[in-house]
Amino acid sequence: MKKKSIGQFLSGSREASLVIVLVVLLIVVGVINPSFLSFTNIRQIFLNNTLTFIMALGMLCVMLTAGIDISITSTLAFAGMSIGMLQKYDVIHNTFLLFVIGALIGIVCGFLNGIIIAKGNVAPIICTMGFMYIWRGMAYVISNNNWASGMDVAGFSDFGKDGAPGPYIILIVAYVVFFVVMKWTRFGRRIYAVGSNTEAARVSGINVDRTLTSVYTIMGFLAGLSGVLSVSIYASAQPNMQYGKEMDVIAACVIGGVSMNGGRGSVAGTFLGALIIGIISKALPMVNIPNFWQNLIKGVIILAVVILNVVTQRTMDRQNLLRREM
Amino acid sequence: MKKKVLSVLLATTVVASLLAGCGSTAADTAAPAAEAAPAEEAAPAEEAAPAEEAATEEAAPADDAAASASGSTYALVTKSAGNPFMDRMATGFQEAVEDAGGTVVIQNPEAATPDAQISVIQSLISQGVNSIAVAGNDANALTAVLTEAEDAGIKVLTLDSDVAPDTRAVFCNQAGVDQIGETLMEAVYDLTGGEGDWAILSATSQATNQNAWIDAMKKLMESDSKYSKLNLVEVAYGDDEPQKSTDQTQALLQNYPDLKVICAPTTVGIAAAAKVLQDQKSTVKLTGLGLPSEMAEYIGDDDAHSCPYMFLWNPIDLGRLAGYTSVALVDGTITGAKGDKFTAGDLGDYTIEDIDGATQIILGPPFKFDPSNIDEWKEVY
Amino acid sequence: MAGKSGREISAVPASGIKGKLLSWEGALILILIGVNILGVAISPNYNVSNVLREMPRYLAEIFMMFGMGYILVLGDIDISVGALVCLAGTITVLSSNAGAPFGLAVVICLAVGLLGGMLNGFIATRFTELPTMIVTLGTQIIFRGIAEVLFETWGNGGGTASMADTKGLMLLAKKIGPFPIAFFCVIIVGVVMITVLSKTTFGRKLYAIGSNKTAAYYAGVKVEKIRFICYSLLGFLAGVCALFLLTATFGSNTTTGQGFEMEVIAMCVFGGIATTGGKGNLIGGFIAAFIIVCLRIALGQRNINTQIILVIIGLMLIISVLVPSISSAITARKKKAQT
Repeated sequence: MKKKSIGQFLSGSREASLVIVLVVLLIVVGVINPSFLSFTNIRQIFLNNTLTFIMALGMLCVMLTAGIDISITSTLAFAGMSIGMLQKYDVIHNTFLLFVIGALIGIVCGFLNGIIIAKGNVAPIICTMGFMYIWRGMAYVISNNNWASGMDVAGFSDFGKDGAPGPYIILIVAYVVFFVVMKWTRFGRRIYAVGSNTEAARVSGINVDRTLTSVYTIMGFLAGLSGVLSVSIYASAQPNMQYGKEMDVIAACVIGGVSMNGGRGSVAGTFLGALIIGIISKALPMVNIPNFWQNLIKGVIILAVVILNVVTQRTMDRQNLLRREM
Repeated sequence: MKKKVLSVLLATTVVASLLAGCGSTAADTAAPAAEAAPAEEAAPAEEAAPAEEAATEEAAPADDAAASASGSTYALVTKSAGNPFMDRMATGFQEAVEDAGGTVVIQNPEAATPDAQISVIQSLISQGVNSIAVAGNDANALTAVLTEAEDAGIKVLTLDSDVAPDTRAVFCNQAGVDQIGETLMEAVYDLTGGEGDWAILSATSQATNQNAWIDAMKKLMESDSKYSKLNLVEVAYGDDEPQKSTDQTQALLQNYPDLKVICAPTTVGIAAAAKVLQDQKSTVKLTGLGLPSEMAEYIGDDDAHSCPYMFLWNPIDLGRLAGYTSVALVDGTITGAKGDKFTAGDLGDYTIEDIDGATQIILGPPFKFDPSNIDEWKEVY
Repeated sequence: MAGKSGREISAVPASGIKGKLLSWEGALILILIGVNILGVAISPNYNVSNVLREMPRYLAEIFMMFGMGYILVLGDIDISVGALVCLAGTITVLSSNAGAPFGLAVVICLAVGLLGGMLNGFIATRFTELPTMIVTLGTQIIFRGIAEVLFETWGNGGGTASMADTKGLMLLAKKIGPFPIAFFCVIIVGVVMITVLSKTTFGRKLYAIGSNKTAAYYAGVKVEKIRFICYSLLGFLAGVCALFLLTATFGSNTTTGQGFEMEVIAMCVFGGIATTGGKGNLIGGFIAAFIIVCLRIALGQRNINTQIILVIIGLMLIISVLVPSISSAITARKKKAQT
């Protein structure tokens, strides 16, 4: 591998172009409202978007296999509502146990997705759409029109309190583990292989079905975990929680350069994508833009960044081609 | 060979059931054609019968409410499923109607949208219920379907959130708009000490109730010189989502360092804001409208609690009031006109008022929740 | 092509496809009959006049089902249509309130739908590397965002607006006999869309693109032009949907059309159209749409918890996509046993 000049690096790497977008965003917002760059605020960006950050990792794996999972926030609601109700009716109050239960629920939901997609040969978007309706409906059913609120989850919510280290630790551990797994383990490479060329992967002896199933199970695990975290951070479990936010997670991945056709994407890119989504949602209320403009601006930014990705990719390909000709 | 037999069998079944299907649809089409007219006639006739019964019984010495409602079905359409406020309201509604001997149908739409309510109300019209009480998700979008319901002889009333006044008989209002505005303004005045910056954290920008209350507060600030030193810096919208409400509250704190009070007239918003303020140990104080069970953690006079006191009305009583009103509308005690009087069980006597062209029954003033009574109420709703 | 390896169907001769599709549609008809029998059995109020009266709100969605079917056959997806319905409805209401006569308002409604669809088509064909799901996710947020801005800047604020002059809408909501006008419109649009897809070269080209885009391109099919047309068509139908939805709501608000895209896709998939492209038939989608609508009406009349209805629809969706692969697995096993 030859070393590239800085200019080539900036125009040539997708992550680098994301960093530029990020810096521009930070400067623009920082100029309008300097307090945006304060430590507290930056800390809160991570805390408020922990769920997006964590689920984006699972979505990365799913999208690397050319799949998609739109049932994640329903799984999140089902797991979150379950542990909320367990506390409301004073069944379990042990924080660790609640995490285990929430994660287990997520794993079961994810496994069902995986097994149906892998063995049943069902298009991922359809299978997960079915479960999107099912788990969300189940969350409503077990809630029985009740919320678990501040009083019910009193001790438990200390874990995700603003200022408590819990969510940050989970966030860091998750990213480190995924970075290592995706880069240096056989399992990680298998996921890339299945996504790049399923047939080739199958022929070369990779158990495609098992890889697919485990990918969706991981996604389910992370969604379940996010459900527990959500209840802890917001001290509230409502059956409609995080409704529609799966699109934020998918957008984070795509902005981060993960290809929906599979086989391309990185943990670093995902992190940057999720960070951009987080900054947008945190910054819009802080730059004095009237509420009713916020969705429009968010949509335009997402579309612009995604198109910028394509343009960068095209320049990259052209440069590579030029180099080959020389 | 086996396969062939099977496919022939299958084919026969398909044809047979198709024929049966056609037959049944044909029969169905024929039936309503013949039935439609009698059905329409029958419905009022059926309705008339109990009404007459009721009338005769009312004429009889004992004023027995139980008998007057028997045989009738009273429906309640809430804003959406999965909402404890609406759930408690439904409990009260059920209590009141069953107390009067009627049958209750409670429908929670799948989402808090007028579209979802339209489907549910359409279904209730098909079922031929006697009355529909609805907590409107939109002031205008239910006009067509509610008119259809009234045309079908169904009594329509609203509770919690009103719709266009000419599409319903009466509105069971939890408390007068100006009354709520005044209560909240007074609380803000008290907590700020009479001067300084304050902000509002509302639900969605199209929430009918919240917008009316906020307008009432703004009007009061302009008209009453007592509030002239108060400065409303921003109305933020948390869309009734915990996450967005959290983002908005944090933004308020960062944008306005001199902020003294946040007023959140929405149950989701106030809980999210309370948590943010309490976690950050902020000196900003909170008030507004919230459910006691949601807010018990945050109510207290000391600096460790973010909300000294807040307000709400009793959703169970609101549901009961709507229940008694439904019964009274169906048995003809009231028509929904101004000045009509009726007795709402042990809630007492109520008179229909006309405020700004909208006929309504007002439950009573908002109730104040403070450290002295929160422990008692958090178990109730 | 990743993710499409399981699809051998395009290699099977035409009669095979036909046989298979016919059997699926046969099953759908049986299910439709079953649902209606169920409805009559569980609800005393389930009869033709009531079903037709409850139907218009759902009929509006069926218009979009046809357009979505085209997009899915192409192997694309469009999740912006729910928001587009909101935008078209909003602009129609606001322009009507600003004094536009009803005829003009109708034109505006359809034009906004068409323009929205064209925007989707433009981005999707200009940046072909982008998955259409992400393009339409972006425009979904933007369409609803524009509607939100319009409510505040042009309307009376509050995220909702109602049409002051409803005479025209009343006319559209009229019934001919027991049938609402929307019902006839759905049938007419349906027949046209089904015929175009199954009987014309244009329709064949859609299947060709959906099966193998590159092959279609080299076979001389103007891939991007056809994709653009399909997106515009779906947008136009979203405008039609918005118009008929207005006859039920007389107004628009920020939640109008929320979740429609998923419901419409579910109808298509339940009808046997694969999201991987190149497979399926609109007749199936048409029947499936009525199955879902009848089921919702029947269960609704029994006052079944609305969330349980969603769970049932989710289960139906998954089972319906599992059936083909299970049946093919069974036939494969049988073949093995025979040899």
